Amino acid sequence: MLRYIEGNEVKLTPNDGIFIDAEFYYTKEKFTALEPHRLFPKSGGNKYVTLLDADGNQVAIIRDTASLLPESRKTVEDALEEYYMIPRITRFIKMVDTFKIWMWTAETDHGILTFEVKNHISTVKPLYDGRVLITDTSDNRYEIPDYRKMDPRSVKMIETML
Amino acid sequence: MRTSINKAFPEKFLEKRREVYGENDPLFTVVGDLAMDRRYGDGAICFEKDRLTVFGDQYASQTKTVSYGELENVSVKRMYGNAYFAAKYRNGETEKLMRFTFFSANIADAAADFVNGVIADGFSDELLNAVENTYLEQRSFCPKCGRKLPSPDAECLNCTGKKKMFSKFAVYALPFKKSLLACMLLSMFTTAAALVPPYVTGYMVDTVLPGKDMRLLLTMIGVLLGVYVLQFAVTGFRAYLLRVTGDKIVTQIKKDIYAKAQYLPMSFYDKTSTGSVINRINSDAAAIQNFVLKISQEAVVQFFTMIGILVIMLCMNWRLTLFSLTPIPLVAMVGRAFGKNIKPRYLRIWRRNASISSLLADTIPGIRIVKAFSHEKESTGKFDAYCNDWLQEEKKISKVVSAFPAVMTFLVTCGSLIIWLSGGSYIIGGRGGITVGLLVSFISYASMFYTPVNFFANFNDTYQNTLASAEKILDILDAEPERDFTKDTPERIDGKIEFKNVNFSFDRSKKVLSNINLTIEPGDIVGIVGTTGSGKSTLINLLMRYYDEYDGEILIDGKNLKDIDIGYYRRQIGFVQQEPLMFRDTIFNNIAYGKPGAHVEEVFRAADIANAHGFITRLPDGYDTLLGERGIGLSGGEKQRLSIARAVMRNPAILIFDEATASVDSETEHLIQGAIENLIRGRTTLMIAHRLSTLRKANKIVVVDKGRIIECGTPEELMALKGKYYKLIQIQSMGEKVEAEKKAENFE
Repeated sequence: MLRYIEGNEVKLTPNDGIFIDAEFYYTKEKFTALEPHRLFPKSGGNKYVTLLDADGNQVAIIRDTASLLPESRKTVEDALEEYYMIPRITRFIKMVDTFKIWMWTAETDHGILTFEVKNHISTVKPLYDGRVLITDTSDNRYEIPDYRKMDPRSVKMIETML
Repeated sequence: MRTSINKAFPEKFLEKRREVYGENDPLFTVVGDLAMDRRYGDGAICFEKDRLTVFGDQYASQTKTVSYGELENVSVKRMYGNAYFAAKYRNGETEKLMRFTFFSANIADAAADFVNGVIADGFSDELLNAVENTYLEQRSFCPKCGRKLPSPDAECLNCTGKKKMFSKFAVYALPFKKSLLACMLLSMFTTAAALVPPYVTGYMVDTVLPGKDMRLLLTMIGVLLGVYVLQFAVTGFRAYLLRVTGDKIVTQIKKDIYAKAQYLPMSFYDKTSTGSVINRINSDAAAIQNFVLKISQEAVVQFFTMIGILVIMLCMNWRLTLFSLTPIPLVAMVGRAFGKNIKPRYLRIWRRNASISSLLADTIPGIRIVKAFSHEKESTGKFDAYCNDWLQEEKKISKVVSAFPAVMTFLVTCGSLIIWLSGGSYIIGGRGGITVGLLVSFISYASMFYTPVNFFANFNDTYQNTLASAEKILDILDAEPERDFTKDTPERIDGKIEFKNVNFSFDRSKKVLSNINLTIEPGDIVGIVGTTGSGKSTLINLLMRYYDEYDGEILIDGKNLKDIDIGYYRRQIGFVQQEPLMFRDTIFNNIAYGKPGAHVEEVFRAADIANAHGFITRLPDGYDTLLGERGIGLSGGEKQRLSIARAVMRNPAILIFDEATASVDSETEHLIQGAIENLIRGRTTLMIAHRLSTLRKANKIVVVDKGRIIECGTPEELMALKGKYYKLIQIQSMGEKVEAEKKAENFE
């Protein structure tokens, strides 16, 4: 049976970085070093977060971190923040194409970087709401929250890929 | 030994490195690209035989040396989009030493193995060699430009230059060099012939007409006629020759791409849709053919045409030549601007074409699943949306493509106006030695001159060719559609199935099913067994209404199957095939395919029943994991469990399993079997199985042989009968016994 967590039935406390401890109030169960993972890392944000034990077995699913007690919510969201790194691209500085291999230099919320994009037909995914998901040749992921809201030069550059 | 490093050592730590190592080098270095706060930054770890030294801003001194003696172990923790290198000390403390993106993750893994190996057994060359090999595999960067290469020894496309690219494509033209040379010569002939009429026209205006010489006029007309006849005859022959040669080139290119595609690694197909591969074979091959022909033919011809006209014009009058050249910079600029503007648009069109091809590659081979889930409307809607997307882009490009020739014609016309103005004023003023005939022929030459100018201005443009296959499209459009979606829709289906005197053949030459009579009660679990080709799957195909042209009757709850609305009926069936077909979409959408608009928790429940939720949660992207075509990226058993989850979503009255566990190992079979048992409770279930062990829950067994039902009854009845089923059980038991013995003796 799948076990869902909602509201104040659990107390989540930080363990170490990406790990958290869980204490269920009603059943008195305690779990340590659980790893929260998003079940929908690309589309679901902090809704449906699974808690996995050291063997990768699921202990429970948090339906929405917003429904947790403030401390528990902070604990799980901090751990998720630590685990997931999807830099948000805010501006494109340069895109150089040589025989369909692209070197992109972009400004992100993690700083400026240059990365390589190959086969952009399958690695640059535009979504209906203006979001663009990008995977580089090292399998790092990036996101443009809404490409239409970027500066005109960046829009022009990315539109070529969409 | 060469010091291994995955990228340039961070400049900011060079001084510190010098302090630690002097002019010496460590054994190897792993350079990271994230600071500990996860901003892009620098970090590095240098490894020695007995210690490692970390360089990073997290330390006040920017460096920290750790002896392997202090460590219990080191590890690399991969997260989502980033990872860290961690140390566990003997005193129980842990520390994150460096953070990095997946760019450095493989090297970091090798370094961790090295350190753990040294901690366990001491330093050895084997440990170092293992790291060196990882570096060699990873060192796929061009030493010249730093670009990542597809493999360690691959050529860098960036640095090989366009010349090399030309020579690669020129290979396709070489076998046809004689025909291409002939085409070029013929083309030069027609170009030279085209230069004659303006000269003759000028001569007629200046000499023949004022001299009122009828004989000379007829001679000149004869000359013109001769030139025209020759010109058009040669043009026609050249066009034929060029087309045949072009076809041969494109055929060879297609063959080569296809042959290459057969040998590409699966990782290529994980990331590339077959739709775009198809697009490449069909469209890009034609584009290369275009390119080869353009280089070998048009560029040469246009170049000589331009030079020839320029020489003639200069010989006729150098002043007028200079005037006529005035619009050229403008023409070249407009041409360039057009090329620049049109290239990204063509790329967008290409992308939309590839999307359409991908959808076709997904849904046409998977048409059985589309029909089984009554998804015809959704498929059509998706295709409509993709086509509309393409149409929108095509509309945008049409504006530019239509405006361009008009602008160019306008500019060329302006050029002729300049010649009229300057030449006319010379004639009226009686200066420059210009005659009316010369002016007329000059204007003709000037307009001819702009064609090569335009050609070279647009040389970099992408050219799109459409391969019309009207015949094949008509084949599809003219085909008869599947019948009736609007008949009887019973309130519910209990699941009673009756076959009455059913006979069926695909092409009427051979009966595949003969005289099938079978009654299945609601809730029955029926195992259908038989040898390959005995007709088991055909029986299911008829039950699924994939074929209607059978004799006899199939009744569902007493109603003729053909009288029940086909869409409604198929929605009542959960169908799990031997080769589960996954679509190029997320895991979530693949499961939810069974019930569009399903609540997320229904999908979780279905996955859980199908024993799939566990492995999905362990995937980095969870339910968002994007599957390649046909579910590439998952094992056969995982795909099968997703396919069962999809069937669960339907809450079907009838379940059909067609060799659901045939292509998986016994452990996976056990998991799938568990999933099936979760699902079949209370539903009419038909299971085709080779492995008779999968039928242990069946209360009825049907043995099919050569298109006939030869035995039917409970397993106990058939065992007592000692017929075909009994023999199959005996054979499989013997096989299992042999397998068990082989296992016991450790035989492969």
